[in-house]
Amino acid sequence: MDREIEELLPFYALDALTDEEKALVEAYLSEHPEARREVEQMGGAVSALPYGLPQVEPSPRTRAALMARVAVEQRANSTAQNQLSRRAGRRENLIRVFSFGFAAVAIIWAVFLNLQLLRLRSEISALNTAVAAQSNALKAINAKLAQPTPPSVITVSLKGTDVRPQAHGELIGDPASQSAVLVIAGLSQLEAGKTYQVWLIDTAGPKSAGFLVVDANGQGVLILSAESAIGSFKSLGISIEPSGGSSKPTGKIVVLSDL
Amino acid sequence: MKDAIDIPVRIKSENGLSRFTENTSIKELSDETLAAQVARGDSSALEALYDRYAATVLGISLKVIGDRALAEEILQETFWRVWKSAATFQPQRGSFTGWLFRIARNLAVDTYRRSNVRPQAINSTKDSDSFLDQVPDTEADVPEQAQSVIRHRQVRHALSTLPREQQQVIEMAYFYGMTRHEIAEATGEALGTIHTRARLGLQKLREELGRQEFEG
Repeated sequence: MDREIEELLPFYALDALTDEEKALVEAYLSEHPEARREVEQMGGAVSALPYGLPQVEPSPRTRAALMARVAVEQRANSTAQNQLSRRAGRRENLIRVFSFGFAAVAIIWAVFLNLQLLRLRSEISALNTAVAAQSNALKAINAKLAQPTPPSVITVSLKGTDVRPQAHGELIGDPASQSAVLVIAGLSQLEAGKTYQVWLIDTAGPKSAGFLVVDANGQGVLILSAESAIGSFKSLGISIEPSGGSSKPTGKIVVLSDL
Repeated sequence: MKDAIDIPVRIKSENGLSRFTENTSIKELSDETLAAQVARGDSSALEALYDRYAATVLGISLKVIGDRALAEEILQETFWRVWKSAATFQPQRGSFTGWLFRIARNLAVDTYRRSNVRPQAINSTKDSDSFLDQVPDTEADVPEQAQSVIRHRQVRHALSTLPREQQQVIEMAYFYGMTRHEIAEATGEALGTIHTRARLGLQKLREELGRQEFEG
């Protein structure tokens, strides 16, 4: 038993303690049931004290003012409640409208997707047919490619002249054909206004077979075409000509080889 | 006499709450039942409690403040707080009147401290006559009025058995809201003496009320 705190108990019952004292007593009461009983008994006597006072009949205005205040608050609460209900109702309506709208959009979208699906299936079917046809064609091409290279296709080595001795290349083609592939390396890129012109030469003289463009590495490829079979020409030459070419070689000849 | 408000008759249910059937006066309901109805927003229950205790609450505030207009304001504010806070009242922690009078007393003491109005003594000349000699109320409920008179006489008798010094300490603490140090300083007595007077005064008051079978 804490004597100092026990002395505070009557004042706790009389509600006449400071906040700090009250906290001390409440902590004490929570651990001392006998003290709590004593406080409850004293509290009973304290709550009787107002009955010892003369009762004073209040003014009717006080009662009217109180009940008016209560009525105002009840009306305010009722109004607030109604507003809440109305808002909830409006929200429900909005949700309903939105739900219907959403459902309609979803149905339209589903129909659209189904149509798209049908269209895509149709396209896939057509593409499958085309792929099958292409596949057959490819098989036929592969079958042909699988055959040994015809003996008529020849490769002729080409050499540079003294003007460009490092130049070299090959002419690949069927002598009976009027076209062949020319591959050249070791040439330098020409200044502006100049071009390499390829000549096929037979007994009647040189005939232009096209213009060769050389890259920065000095290499160039040309599918040349001739007026007659490649095999009918005796030799191939490349000369440096003005842009646009010449009817006969006029510049330096950088490549010249027999076919 | 005011017409009784007809509400359902009270029937104790399994969960301890009350429900009602018609034709029972609201005035027959207990304080705790009325407080529960107030907590549910029943203003007629608040009116019933007001009619039952307004005179006592006004007595408290007038005792502390000594100013009728201020005391009436405190009365209104006390019952407004009952209206707003009835849900916080817990019957298991004490009686409704204990809760109600504490609200009134604290409001009055706070007002007293702010305004520094001097309270009246319990045994002042204004207090010496019977409550029935005060302002008559032709609309008051007769049984309740009679019960109030009995309580008043019981408490006054019990108080009269206390030595004047013990009455004084109890009054200063309860109605003035003075701390024990303030009482010791105001009376010029030692703190230990104030402690003893408060304890003995409350013990004696409790014993006397018990002897008279006082029902608060």
